[in-house]
Amino acid sequence: MRIVLGEGSCGIAAGAGKLRNALEALITEQDSFTLGSTGCIGMCFLEPIVDLYEGRMLKRRLVRVSPDDAPAILEAVRTGDLSLVDSITISAEDEEFLTKQTRIALRHCGLIDPTSLDDYRESDGYQALKKVLTSMTPEEVIEEIKISGLAGRGGAGFPTWFKWNAARQSAGENKYLICNADEGDPGAFMDRAVIESDPHSLIEGMLIGAYAIGASEMIVYVRAEYPLAIVHLEEAIRQAKEANLLGEHILGTDFSCDMRIKAGAGAFVCGEETALIESLEGKRGMPRLKPPFPAQRGYMDEPSNINNVETFANVAWILNNGGAAFAAMGTENSKGTKVFALTGKIRKGGLVEIPMGKTLRDVIYGIGGGIRGDKKFKAVQMGGPSGGCIPQSLLDTVIDYKALAATGAIMGSGGMVVMDEDTCMVGMAKFFLDFTALESCGKCVHCRIGTKRMQEILTRIVEGEGKDGDIELLEELCTAVKDGALCGLGQTAPNPVLTTIRYFRDEYEAHIYDKKCPTKECPALRAYSIDADKCRGCTLCARNCPAKAISGEVKKPHTIDPALCIRCDQCRSACRFDAIIIE
Amino acid sequence: MEKIKITVDGKEMFGEAGETILTIAARNGVEIPNLCYNKNLKLYGACGVCVVEAENSPKLLRACSALAADGMVIHTDSPKAKNARRVALELIMSDHEGDCKGPCSLHCPAHTDVQGYLKQIALGNDREAVRIIKEKIPIPASIGRVCPHPCEHDCRRQMVEEPLSIAYLKAFAADRDLESDTPYTAEAAPATGKKVAVIGGGPAGLSAAYYLRLAGHTVTIYDAMPEMGGMLRYGIPEYRLPKAILAKEVAAIAALGVTMKNGVKLGRDITLGQLRAENDAVLLALGAWKSSTIGCPGEELDGVIGGIDFLREVNMGNIPDIGKNVAVVGGGNTAMDACRTAIRCGAENVYVIYRRTRAEAPAEDIEITEAIEEGVTFKFLTNPAEIIGENGKVTAVKLQIMELGEPDASGRRSPVPVEGKFEILPVDTMIAAIGQRLDPVGLDGITLSRKGTLIADEKNCLTELDGVFAAGDATNRGASIAIDAIAEGDLAAKAINAYLSGLPIDFFEPYYSKKEVTPEMFADREKIARAEMSVKDPAYRRGNFESVINGFTEEQARSEAKRCLECGCHDYHDCKLIRYADSEPICPERFEGPKHECFTEQRLEVIERDQGKCILCNLCVRVCREEVGKGLLGLVGRGFKTVIRPEFADSDAMAGCGDCRRCAELCPTGALKILK
Amino acid sequence: MGSTKQAPQSDFTLLENVLSEYAGIPGSLIAILQKAQDIYGYLPRDVMHHIAGRIGVPPAEVVGVATFYSQFRLTPIGKYLIMSCQGTACHVNASERVSAAVASYLNIKHGETTEDGLFTLEHVACLGCCSLAPVIMINGEAYGNLTPESAIAVLKDIQAKEAAK
Repeated sequence: MRIVLGEGSCGIAAGAGKLRNALEALITEQDSFTLGSTGCIGMCFLEPIVDLYEGRMLKRRLVRVSPDDAPAILEAVRTGDLSLVDSITISAEDEEFLTKQTRIALRHCGLIDPTSLDDYRESDGYQALKKVLTSMTPEEVIEEIKISGLAGRGGAGFPTWFKWNAARQSAGENKYLICNADEGDPGAFMDRAVIESDPHSLIEGMLIGAYAIGASEMIVYVRAEYPLAIVHLEEAIRQAKEANLLGEHILGTDFSCDMRIKAGAGAFVCGEETALIESLEGKRGMPRLKPPFPAQRGYMDEPSNINNVETFANVAWILNNGGAAFAAMGTENSKGTKVFALTGKIRKGGLVEIPMGKTLRDVIYGIGGGIRGDKKFKAVQMGGPSGGCIPQSLLDTVIDYKALAATGAIMGSGGMVVMDEDTCMVGMAKFFLDFTALESCGKCVHCRIGTKRMQEILTRIVEGEGKDGDIELLEELCTAVKDGALCGLGQTAPNPVLTTIRYFRDEYEAHIYDKKCPTKECPALRAYSIDADKCRGCTLCARNCPAKAISGEVKKPHTIDPALCIRCDQCRSACRFDAIIIE
Repeated sequence: MEKIKITVDGKEMFGEAGETILTIAARNGVEIPNLCYNKNLKLYGACGVCVVEAENSPKLLRACSALAADGMVIHTDSPKAKNARRVALELIMSDHEGDCKGPCSLHCPAHTDVQGYLKQIALGNDREAVRIIKEKIPIPASIGRVCPHPCEHDCRRQMVEEPLSIAYLKAFAADRDLESDTPYTAEAAPATGKKVAVIGGGPAGLSAAYYLRLAGHTVTIYDAMPEMGGMLRYGIPEYRLPKAILAKEVAAIAALGVTMKNGVKLGRDITLGQLRAENDAVLLALGAWKSSTIGCPGEELDGVIGGIDFLREVNMGNIPDIGKNVAVVGGGNTAMDACRTAIRCGAENVYVIYRRTRAEAPAEDIEITEAIEEGVTFKFLTNPAEIIGENGKVTAVKLQIMELGEPDASGRRSPVPVEGKFEILPVDTMIAAIGQRLDPVGLDGITLSRKGTLIADEKNCLTELDGVFAAGDATNRGASIAIDAIAEGDLAAKAINAYLSGLPIDFFEPYYSKKEVTPEMFADREKIARAEMSVKDPAYRRGNFESVINGFTEEQARSEAKRCLECGCHDYHDCKLIRYADSEPICPERFEGPKHECFTEQRLEVIERDQGKCILCNLCVRVCREEVGKGLLGLVGRGFKTVIRPEFADSDAMAGCGDCRRCAELCPTGALKILK
Repeated sequence: MGSTKQAPQSDFTLLENVLSEYAGIPGSLIAILQKAQDIYGYLPRDVMHHIAGRIGVPPAEVVGVATFYSQFRLTPIGKYLIMSCQGTACHVNASERVSAAVASYLNIKHGETTEDGLFTLEHVACLGCCSLAPVIMINGEAYGNLTPESAIAVLKDIQAKEAAK
């Protein structure tokens, strides 16, 4: 029997490290089983996760495991009496989180040891590469990708074959294949999961792409915030070089290609392909004008092709199973599957891969289990800072590039942040503009100053200083920034504002005209008071109040002085009787 | 190379495949606005003002980089492109810290380039100074003497010690020019064949006639009085404006080819209809020649006269018999002119009756001081209740004693009568200098405002009648100071010129970037007192109409002009940013917010950088790196906080800079200034 | 001109290996700066100038790159770098209360270091642990599902560990 720990970043953040320590401390030399490791299975809400395997067979999946469970787990493994861990075994309902998915990009995640080339090979690893290098021409590879209908998973949804073909056609001394692993959208982490959990599938996908376009070098641009991903990918590259999967004459063929990692240094804009190229060249990550496009003159002024991690993660599968199999899934213009990072006020958060054509409701309710607590669904934010908020009324929108774009949001990289009735949509728009204004590279006027001014207008609205005409001013500014900004960051930055105005205009109006936040989330617009009937006079609130705004005698109802109250909410958190009221 | 054809704003043009839209358009005479483009440097794409719309393209294109394709139809001014460009300019301006112009120029109704001419005076180039002044004021020697100089009111030199003596410096330069062998004369454009009639030869009419003539039109001024000059000639007393000086300046305008017909009165000698029929356009610059009445019993008595009527008579050489005791009612400049003129006419006791206090009086304070010096008695907080007469002739005035009450809407404390308190003042003549208005003769068929003025569009001076414009004291808000009339005359000339050329005549106030300043910013300035104008002794002044002021000495004028702090931007006339920003109305105020870090730095004492005016076009950084090969400048920071800062190694600071000045040459704004 | 004349000169010999590793490889500036920051803990101005001279890039460009990326620091940091995630999921799950609690407990603002040099607090872009929001990362280790109380408990643990040393 094998004990396998989920040790992706989320697993570790949830306590997998302490769990490993606890298990290792109890394992003795007599024990015959091994303690293995795997990446992220994507059921983040159940972390830390421990899988018990018999050979290749999963016998038990243990969830929300704490170090205190270690003795029971070891006892169960030693005795074979798995009933000892019944209490921490995954429920049938939670298993559906995985069984309802169709996993292609994530096909190995959480199932294999990401640091083991053998594990990957035993799961059909590098079969596609072998097939491509030994039996297909680059044109045939591009044709297969064309048949599959694979489109860029980074956000724009541009047909992959078209980019590959353009780079192939472009004349140049050297060509470069670049992987954009600068997954910067807050709320998206599928690329991290793939690199951490299945780095060889990225390498294999990239090698196939490199062969197709005729690249001599591959570069993975990984964001600095993903240290574990870098460690796993470095190890995988080392293994691949050793196994002649990288370098000269790969697998004994005439195809040679090298690979290296370039760690980003913290700039969201580097997810934009021309900014990424600038950064690769060691410069400030400021986007370039297009034309020329990277396929003509990219990295080092040579033809370059850039795809994102998830796109590459699909490639080997497509070559193994045929483009038609991939194209069989999805809609008219969106083929295959898409991975979503489901987070926010959702019951079951994690990574969800499903065929295109399913609805948002399928993901949020069918797989995610709906809203946490007994709150009502309000909106789902898709596509991060470039995307938009989709309201309840559009929950049956199908997952399809065009259908999502029609809502004002975008498919984006797949971040899906679910919001309940307590989330202020103006505050949400401000949150995104805080982000884009901070991450704007500063090159073009529309983005540098435009996002700053949008953020300022939104700030004054949530602070109760909004003015008549602010909504229209935002709309005009948004339109100009969309039209005038140099790169995708600026062109899409207005989307969160425009969609929230489109679907939640009443919330803007309430802030501006009534000086009220309907969700009571905006601190500046809250008025705190104490319900005298509920207050027991326990003094807890008064003791917690940093502004000394609460007074009252022991065992008598307390009161809040609104002039002193700084709306920090600490009284409400402290009160055990729900006596603090916000109006 | 493959030839391609594109259409830009309806104009077909040819280029070669691989050329950008901007390149082809520029070669064919269509300027697409741009701030960060330079043909010798790598494309950059920061400013976003070169955006254009191509038919059948959902996205706007940056003309600097977008390649032209055969058959492309480009619109540089489509609503979408215009909106994106306008917002870009508004955003830049909302983050721009600098003064396009100094407060002097902004507060001058004519927006005269004060800083420009002061600099020339400081350098001793009076003729050049006059050339600059005459771009806005055709009669500077006259205006320099009589103008209440709004320019000086906000002069920032006050933050050091006192404002500059701008008006007198103007008079100084203009006098020197008039006295010179070759006074400055502007050159009129080739004849357009268009005829314009200007009715009224006062400041508004003269100004309009001058600029219309310079534009090449045939201009005739019709004036009812014997000589040109309007109120400057017949309202302002000789001791303030010697008529010989005015006459010289009028003559200079006539010398340009403006026909001047005096003694021709509208409604008597000519009609508006007739003039309109004979000319391509008509300007009504009639002035306000009728005195307002006091509105108390006894006004009909002999010896009660209007202020401007009195001044006109004196200015025509008819010294009226005003007796020993004269009371002037009013607290404005006309009242001052009247009381001081009365002194000069031999009155023994001259009183000024004003219902508020000196602090509220609209007259220039120096005028009140000089009037007191000359022996005028001010009776503040009094108001005529009744004019008393015998045999139809005024003998006394009953004054109601007033006190100041609560401040009114304008913030001024309004005078209220102290019940039952009166004073009787024996007078031989009462002069009512409390206002003046249009005498609407010959204006049949024209609707007047409730104030009895001509209604003219403030944007272009157009009246309700096609081709008939109006400017000056006769219009809208009524009588004002001469420089207002000069400015309106200039505006009317622009509007008429556009009207005659078939161009749009909806003018708008140009945008000016402004900077907040505090006295602390000038703490290191040496304090130098304002040049004092020498004046004649009051006792001497009383007996004659000689000019009160003696004028600046040359030494005084040069050093006074050097006190100018040069608040306005050195680059105003060459700044691409302001040129684009002024091409249509913009409102950066709606995006008002914090600005990026602003600082200045100097290099080799040759170049000064003002980060406040930097728009991050990066041309300086790029030219230093790409063309000069040094890379001394660089962007620092990210996003809104980005600034340009040179980064020099400690020891060999600036040694790398070869003083080539390319950075300053390419700067599209005034952020980089060559000091020497 | 922003030079730090008073600062003691940094020991450039520490950087030799890095500079020779990347010698002649164009576009290595960011990688060199990253390694330099690993060595010195931040990027002292003289180190940036030294790098500029060695790799033949104008100092202005080096400083331009160092100030563009949020990972680079121009001032020294504390022993423990607390990265407070500002991602969407964290925001939706009230991360600002956690970072406010951390800031008030340590009495520093975002971007500052405690007086004892133990902690530096930074706001960072999404750490990608969205399902465990709100999250902070301390010296590379992620802590998820935090409340203001549990976040302070983590800090107290570290303080206790340091005090015991």
